[in-house]
Amino acid sequence: MSVRKQEGHGVLEARGIIKTFTVRREGSTRELRAVYDVSLSVAPGEIVGLVGESGCGKTTLSRIMIGIEEASSGQVLYDGRPVVGRADWRALRRSVQYVFQDPFTALCPTMRIGQALAEPLAIHGLCPAAERAARVARMLELVGLHPDVSRRLPNQLSGGQRQRVNLARALMLEPRMLICDEIVSGLDVSVQAQVLSLLIELQEKLGLGLIFISHDLRVIRYLCSRVLVMYLGEIVEQGPTEAVFDNPGHAYTKALLAAIPDHSRALAGVEHANS
Amino acid sequence: MEKVLSVENLSIRFAGRAGDITVVDDVSFDLSVGGSLVIAGESGSGKSMVCQALLGIVPGAAKVTGTRIDWRGRDLLTLGMQDWRAIRGAEIAMIFQDPTAALNPLITVEHQISDVVCAHRRCSRQEARARAIEVLGLAGFPEPAHRMKSYPSELSGGLRQRVAIALALAASPSLIIADEATTNLDVSIQAQIVTLLRRLKDELGLALIFVTHDLGLAAEIGGDLLVMYAGHAVERGPVRQVLSDPCHPYTRGLLRCAPTLRSSRANPLVPIPGQAPRPGSIGAGSPFRSRCPVVVDGICEISRPGWTAAGPGHAVACHRFARDGREGLR
Repeated sequence: MSVRKQEGHGVLEARGIIKTFTVRREGSTRELRAVYDVSLSVAPGEIVGLVGESGCGKTTLSRIMIGIEEASSGQVLYDGRPVVGRADWRALRRSVQYVFQDPFTALCPTMRIGQALAEPLAIHGLCPAAERAARVARMLELVGLHPDVSRRLPNQLSGGQRQRVNLARALMLEPRMLICDEIVSGLDVSVQAQVLSLLIELQEKLGLGLIFISHDLRVIRYLCSRVLVMYLGEIVEQGPTEAVFDNPGHAYTKALLAAIPDHSRALAGVEHANS
Repeated sequence: MEKVLSVENLSIRFAGRAGDITVVDDVSFDLSVGGSLVIAGESGSGKSMVCQALLGIVPGAAKVTGTRIDWRGRDLLTLGMQDWRAIRGAEIAMIFQDPTAALNPLITVEHQISDVVCAHRRCSRQEARARAIEVLGLAGFPEPAHRMKSYPSELSGGLRQRVAIALALAASPSLIIADEATTNLDVSIQAQIVTLLRRLKDELGLALIFVTHDLGLAAEIGGDLLVMYAGHAVERGPVRQVLSDPCHPYTRGLLRCAPTLRSSRANPLVPIPGQAPRPGSIGAGSPFRSRCPVVVDGICEISRPGWTAAGPGHAVACHRFARDGREGLR
């Protein structure tokens, strides 16, 4: 990555992140290394994929980058400046928002959608209360929902609609970057395609940057310009998506690619699907 | 090929406030001995309900009707409770989506499996234990004699699913139904489980029904494919045939919106617009008409499409295809 990029505006960067958890089991304690010496940086307008199996540390890393989890060592930088105190994190979270995996648990079941979407504005004291409803309506339209949805409760929406609401809530503060943790993996393919198209549209329209965490390499290939492969807490391979996919260097990346069920490959006869 | 299962005109309805709600409508398919069938569809397509009907575990409020579900000469639609017991597990077994929910957290793996063995045949604990070791071995569970003393919480997700597969194998069934059995697993574990199921099918001569929403997985399983949409079967045929020459607008839409390892933004995914209809709101017409890009005006709204042959063993339920063939789909 270039020096210019590191100093650029709105770049979110993690440097040398290490995270260890202390696990107590049968009287003895041991250190569990969840993330080990990981660095990554994302600029606005860029979509970076983070892939790996469950337990590889990708969610822990992303939670550290937004300050939900604290790193054991290493630094998070935003706009080239280290993020340290509470005020720094609060400022960062105005520009970097997190979209959670499960649209069913991420929304409060007793809060109407409109209220849930207005809450970030209230927390950050951004917009006069009288104007919030109009902003909520505009945001719902942006993610392809009818403004009437603001009167509904989460259980009146489908999974795809809820995930759109989830995205809309993260976008309310007009962030420059989103961290998306497996946000399409629970969706049906036709709905998944709708959400992926929306993400691309947001990137193009708003210049939004994305850290997109997924274990589905097919989605990563489609969406991301750059990809990082994580294994047992470490980045084992990274580069432009096409280069990594067409010419994987690390044995683990190769194994991941080979494990993806893929009809284009199966039909081309490379796989022994129907032999 | 000799048929082991033949489902004719299966329908499942729930009583609703404004009349019955049909969740599975007139679905038919065959399965040959040792064959495999993939049922593909999105949530709400009725694929799980079909599987539950084959095991007699449809929720009590539902009405299961049909011409016949022929299982080795017996009609599953007419079975009583006692008859089901002899078939469920012993002849037709199921692997569920979530192995954590399928296993009892308070009982060791060994006891869960030997309980199943003892439920289906008279045998001593020793014999049941030996059978448990045997099926765990078949399911690729490492060091079964030693590790089967574990509780489910001590095992990883992949190992738990292997235990669930061993449970399904315990009473030597001839048909295994895997309902989204790999959906919650990591891709590399998923690949292992798919390989295992294919091997078991070949080695033990099992018939396999594999339910998935992932067309990539369907291609890896092979055999026949039944595509379901909103409770209806819309296309059926050999997996490779259907995926390389999809003839129903819904199947074509699914393939165009599912990313593959070859997709890139140069060929954007084409989302299927709108949402699946609510069960009970479909009425008489084609179930896909509200989202279909090639609706035949005046026909799709009022009449249910019948089957039209599209190739050897390949059939499509679509008015447009029946009228204009492949040309009409573009």
